[in-house]
Amino acid sequence: MKVAESKTQKLIIEGLWHNNPVFKQVLGICSTLAVTNLVLNTMVMCLALVFTLSLSAATVSILRNFTPRNIRMMVETLIIAFYVIIVDILLKAYWPEMSGNLGPYVGLIITNCIVMGRCEAYGNSNPPGKAFMDGLFNALGYSFVLLIIAVFRELFGMGTFLGVSVPYFSGPYWDKWIIMVMPPGAFFMLAVVVWVFRSIQLAKEDKSK
Amino acid sequence: MIRKQSWFPILYMFCVTAFFSSIVIGLTRLTSEHVEGNEKLAFERAVLSVLSDVDVEAMTRLKIHSTFTEIIDESDESSEGVYTAKREGKIIAYVLPIAGRGFWAPIKGVIGIETDRKTITGIAFYEQNETPGLGAEISKAPFRNQFEGKMISSQAKPINFRRPGTTLSDNEVHAVTGATQTSNRLENIINTELKKWRDQSVKQDENSRL
Repeated sequence: MKVAESKTQKLIIEGLWHNNPVFKQVLGICSTLAVTNLVLNTMVMCLALVFTLSLSAATVSILRNFTPRNIRMMVETLIIAFYVIIVDILLKAYWPEMSGNLGPYVGLIITNCIVMGRCEAYGNSNPPGKAFMDGLFNALGYSFVLLIIAVFRELFGMGTFLGVSVPYFSGPYWDKWIIMVMPPGAFFMLAVVVWVFRSIQLAKEDKSK
Repeated sequence: MIRKQSWFPILYMFCVTAFFSSIVIGLTRLTSEHVEGNEKLAFERAVLSVLSDVDVEAMTRLKIHSTFTEIIDESDESSEGVYTAKREGKIIAYVLPIAGRGFWAPIKGVIGIETDRKTITGIAFYEQNETPGLGAEISKAPFRNQFEGKMISSQAKPINFRRPGTTLSDNEVHAVTGATQTSNRLENIINTELKKWRDQSVKQDENSRL
């Protein structure tokens, strides 16, 4: 099954599934917990991460042959911060409401371990094109897990999806789970999601043996 | 070779930083007007939305700004920070700015008060960062609409927050379910400012009697 896969395909599958940042590498949990109580906020956060991660991995890769080894972390942080600040500025100027909703979390992408992790692990030793793809699909792998968590948190906690009331969940028969909106709700949801996905992965691995 | 020199990393870092920072600085300059405009507009929208005879929802950004400059008098020392809304030279309402610490970040808003200096016409927030779905409900209509027509009482708490579900008198509103911290802090912010307002009104009354 794995013989026919091209290298790009392999990168895609690695990022989205086999080596998913959230449930396999368990990176970037901080923002997973912070911004997943509304689907819309999560979407914007994921877009920001896709933008930052793919471009900073590519930039790190372009500079990899010039950057002295001993200061590479500084340079990486600088590059990541550069892209994050761009996102932050654009949000502030053109979508102030969203900027207000996300508050400090946009800036905190700088310290998101996934970004630094992928730059270090992949961008530093691979050509820009591949680094870009690796960043892109790791970010997408992160995004889809975040969105799953967000959908359930918003639905159970507020009875809405993207701000639109969902029948039954917004009605009187559904006692809204306030804990889902609070930070602890994210822990529970994350644990459930990791559990489910890891079980699927393990089941597959057992079969292939 | 230049890359073997001990000062090369410093030079390298310097150049890379200079390059990326100049792009960021350029972008900030380009968008700074937009950002300032957004902040100002958020404030103007809040001020207008607490007036009972202005419908902000239906207004464009431009209309909000022109209406604001037309009817709102900037606060100065004599008004002690309070904005006044005037139509044809007559005062139609006062707008009292409020600010203080919320649960996560500062809460800033405005309260509209009628010319009797007692009846509240509305409340609005232009800066808050409370928990979405819980504390952030303070900026939504169901919570804000409660304030319309409430009277500032002369008791220790000008406006009283009660538990949801209780019956209310005319200086009481329901707190936000599940957001005790935000509610308590907001109650504090509102009452601190309203007490100042009340004392000031009493002084003004005495002055006008003299």
